[in-house]
Amino acid sequence: MRTLTPARLAAWLAVFAAGLCAVLLVGVAAGPSGLALRDVLDVLREERAATAAHDIVFGVRLPRVALGALVGAALATAGALFQALLRNPLADPFVLGVSGGAAVGGIAALSFGAALGLGYGAVPPAAFAGAVLTTVALQAVAGVAGRVSPTHLLLTGVVFNAFASAAIVFLASMAGLQEGARIFVWLIGSLSSARPELIASVALFLVAGLVCALPAARQLNLLALGEESAQQLGVDVTRLQRLLLLATSLMVGAAVSVAGLVGFVGLIIPHLLRLLLGPDHRLLLPTAALGGAAFLVLCDTAARTLFGGRELPVGAITALAGGPLFLWLLRRQQQRAFAP
Amino acid sequence: MFRPASRCAALLYLLLALRAGAEQATLPRVVSLNPSLTEILLALDARPALVGVDDYSARASSEVAGLPRVGGLFDPSLEAIVALEPDVVALVPSAEQRDLRARLEALGIEVLVLENHTLPQLLASIEALGARVGRAAPARERVAAIRRALADAERAAQRRPRVRAVLVLQRDPLFLVGRGSYLDALLTAAGADNLAAEFPDAYPRVDLEWVIAAAPALILDASEDPEPAMTHWRRWPSLPAVATGRVVPLVAAEVTLPGPHLERALAILARAVAGE
Repeated sequence: MRTLTPARLAAWLAVFAAGLCAVLLVGVAAGPSGLALRDVLDVLREERAATAAHDIVFGVRLPRVALGALVGAALATAGALFQALLRNPLADPFVLGVSGGAAVGGIAALSFGAALGLGYGAVPPAAFAGAVLTTVALQAVAGVAGRVSPTHLLLTGVVFNAFASAAIVFLASMAGLQEGARIFVWLIGSLSSARPELIASVALFLVAGLVCALPAARQLNLLALGEESAQQLGVDVTRLQRLLLLATSLMVGAAVSVAGLVGFVGLIIPHLLRLLLGPDHRLLLPTAALGGAAFLVLCDTAARTLFGGRELPVGAITALAGGPLFLWLLRRQQQRAFAP
Repeated sequence: MFRPASRCAALLYLLLALRAGAEQATLPRVVSLNPSLTEILLALDARPALVGVDDYSARASSEVAGLPRVGGLFDPSLEAIVALEPDVVALVPSAEQRDLRARLEALGIEVLVLENHTLPQLLASIEALGARVGRAAPARERVAAIRRALADAERAAQRRPRVRAVLVLQRDPLFLVGRGSYLDALLTAAGADNLAAEFPDAYPRVDLEWVIAAAPALILDASEDPEPAMTHWRRWPSLPAVATGRVVPLVAAEVTLPGPHLERALAILARAVAGE
């Protein structure tokens, strides 16, 4: 494995940032209305309010692309963190039940919010609370004397996920017809709720999560050697686990609260990048954020444009693209491992 | 002594009374598994025939709230239905209810399968349901009243320029009325050009950008979202409907239930399209 020099880190970050910018441009330039690229650039250059082109670029595509980038970055970074914390390549927010907890919170608000006079505005905070509570509960159940065993955490997460699924089915069957349709779309994951006012709050939680996570990259590298070795090398494992579980629940809670359960981003992006760039978390974490952002914006652009004005939930695209890609990666890894 | 004309009238009255009595006496025991069908039965004065309804019917109508419930649209309880000893179970076919139909028929219970997606289907369902519960004449009258209202609305609409419109069922995700549904037919009769009729499905999920590019002059919003319709749509001021203030909130229960009083929904849509 090549050592990570500051120059190499900077070079890769520049490549990923440039790639993300290109994808963002594609996302803003593409849409079902067939608005010409020239019109898009005109609108971006000069303020031409109250034209359809202006509304499409500023009122639909930009918020959507921005939200896609934030949610993708949050999910992929959270996935990379979970995989590092649990030292298990299968870990992601879904497997661990954090997404499930967020979904239970959000769907409870969808089902009962209207009855309580709260409206749909109650969904994001409820989903966020669901993610944080799940993380706290996971630590409390899986931890003994302040320490959390990765195996126990993973198993607890799997069981909690099953429990969350059952709770979701129960809530969905109690809901009215219109709420039922919303719950269905939410379970697949969609970015159709993109509004400028949502973006700031998701960005805030993503930044908070990244601020907690990025400085811990070196400690995560040591954790890969095993908990005891990391402890001997000066890592406060308990503190690290708590900090990073908090960071992931902030990011996952914010992502699920606005986009529902968008699958595979947290699993596939860190895997792909580990194959491409190696396991160093100082490079893996920021590139996961940038790569996850680009992946979800690309998938959502496909969801918006593939079928004319009809829209697919982006979660269906990430699963359709991510499933086969993941199997291919797994197979390639296996072939390498057993190569003569 | 009766005169012949009076005698005829008396005889006719007697026959009608006997027939009504016979209909009353032989009312079948009906379980309705769809709010649309429940509403049709109520409109045809067939409430006494109902012995059980689905949860959504019970929520939608206070008249049947006291009846035994047999579960939701997608998960009705076979046991609860059978326990009510129905003569006939009325349902709208769906993937979930296909299996239920087979199981009910295997138990020897008659199942009346009634489509309600298109206007002709809905009118045929009103007549079929009416005929089965001994309310054939009121059902025919109901259908005739709807047809009259449609013809009147079409005549009135011919005198006005047609209005480019969309009918919003849900905002997020955005669902509109597309091509072929009874709502599409009502909109057209009311004098609107339903822009979303370019989508082949009855209720397409549409990208917001498509709506802005389609530039509807009228947005009929039946989503019942807590945020007022104009506040929501004002985010995209280039929409002609926003610029001219023609964003009309609708009450979903009054418009989007494929029920027996389509002329009421039609009147609401026609008023909105005419800008009254």
